[in-house]
Amino acid sequence: MEHILEVKNLTKQFGDFTAVDNISFSVKEGEIVGLLGPNGAGKTTTIDMLLGLTTPTLGTINVFGLPFEEHRVKILKQMNFSAAYVNLPWRLKVWENLHIFGRLYEVEEYKQKIDTLITEFRLTALKDAITDTLSSGQLTSLYLCKAFINDPRLLLLDEPTAFLDPDVADLIRKYIKKKVKTDNMSVLFTSHNMAEVTEICDRVIFLNRGNIIAEDTPTGLAKRVKFCRVLLLFDVQRTKAVTLLKNYQYTFSFDEKEVQVDTEEENVGQLLGRLSLARLKYSQITIEKPTLEDFFLHAMRGRYEYT
Amino acid sequence: MSTHRIAAIILRHLYIWPRSPERFMWTFGWPFFGLLIWGLAISFLQSSSSSTFSFITVIIGAIIFWEIVVQPQREVSINFIDELWNKNILNLFASPLTKTEYLTALVVIGIIKMFATALSLTIGSMVLYNFNIFSSFGPLIPIFFINLLLFGISLGFIVNGLILRYGLSMQEIAWAIVVIVQPFSCVLYPLSFIPPWAQKIAIVLPTTYVFEEMRRFMFESNVISTNLVFALLLNTVYLVFSIWFFSIMFEKAREYGRLVKLT
Repeated sequence: MEHILEVKNLTKQFGDFTAVDNISFSVKEGEIVGLLGPNGAGKTTTIDMLLGLTTPTLGTINVFGLPFEEHRVKILKQMNFSAAYVNLPWRLKVWENLHIFGRLYEVEEYKQKIDTLITEFRLTALKDAITDTLSSGQLTSLYLCKAFINDPRLLLLDEPTAFLDPDVADLIRKYIKKKVKTDNMSVLFTSHNMAEVTEICDRVIFLNRGNIIAEDTPTGLAKRVKFCRVLLLFDVQRTKAVTLLKNYQYTFSFDEKEVQVDTEEENVGQLLGRLSLARLKYSQITIEKPTLEDFFLHAMRGRYEYT
Repeated sequence: MSTHRIAAIILRHLYIWPRSPERFMWTFGWPFFGLLIWGLAISFLQSSSSSTFSFITVIIGAIIFWEIVVQPQREVSINFIDELWNKNILNLFASPLTKTEYLTALVVIGIIKMFATALSLTIGSMVLYNFNIFSSFGPLIPIFFINLLLFGISLGFIVNGLILRYGLSMQEIAWAIVVIVQPFSCVLYPLSFIPPWAQKIAIVLPTTYVFEEMRRFMFESNVISTNLVFALLLNTVYLVFSIWFFSIMFEKAREYGRLVKLT
């Protein structure tokens, strides 16, 4: 697959503060890459540099094989973006906003394209509505219509489903996946919804304090967490179970009925054996494998926190 | 340059014009009230004076001409600020739109609004005061208009550059700059009437030459054409400087991350 986006040694410094520190990564054609990290990790600064809104201090950005600064117009005609912190003019009608961006991106047959998009994003009835009157979910749908208006080859989405109800968020994820499949579109995607990233992204780049600290598939990152979670439901003998877990120095938390134990996957058998030897009977057991969220927490805290 | 992208920005601002009361007032309302109040005041003074000189021609003419500075400056600046208020500026500059196309579109909107205001004031002055700017200044109107328009555009670009540098805390200057420049432009009084220190400022403003020649034409029925050419040269300098200033401030805003923080 061809590299659509290639970032090499990208650095952004604001005075003494380094927001993005010498990062390199690429996005292939037809690939959805998640850019994850805590607040202040450098995700938005990276996206701003990829859009030409902020100038890099060091490093190169090549999009579609072309250096960004020298070919800005040609590149941006084939890119688009949507972000939770960017709006559209609120006193314009829905179709007027899309009409303007259709012309800005020099979309041929833009009227037809607008009709298709507002149908796909369930905004047909709101075509003549003033943007200010839309709900936050409808607004996000409108911003995504704008983001898809030029059928971008590379789409940058900064928390695109932040204000959407699960139904519309699902619609949008399906739409993105469909566009990737049918048009070979590439997507760089930031979100704080780990389940969404796991569902949609082929690969995840994990940023912290401006550095890439991990890069893998969502499952691959989750597997890096060696702990799994064992949930045990005790109808009686909970206190005895807690004492046992304390004695063996397990990491665990508990409430009135349930005990949650975090242990390495290979030690689950040993845990269950110890419970059995102590004649402790649980009415229900669930073993949860680590998720991307666990990786996120693990990477951020360097450890799990328990009560 | 893409005419599609220029047209897109022009349309964006023309769409909201009819449904935006404050913009309607800026184009038609406030200039008309200015004409009305000044016209009535001057008519009263004229009726109380024994002079046969038509004050109303000089004052009303100056008021209409001054709007040729105000409208493009305000449109160039307010339409830029409007993108910041709407948090839309990043959408625009993350699109293929270039700085040149954006500034060109702002100028075209400024010219459209300027003509709308000039036309409404011309009709108003004819109806209210029997004053016709075309018959009073005839062939001088194009050179007056071009000089005043260019100066208004330059002021607008400078204001936009200041906003890029200092953020929306500078937005008041978008309304204030013409008020600051007006006293030094000798709109309603001759250059010789203002203090010497103020004259030093006035002589570097192209507007001063336009209004001086406007009055010369009224009093002496002729103009010193070299003054108007000099005003044009000054305007060229101001325009080149203002475009350079905006461009530098834009690039600095990208470098320091201010562009993304403006919203």
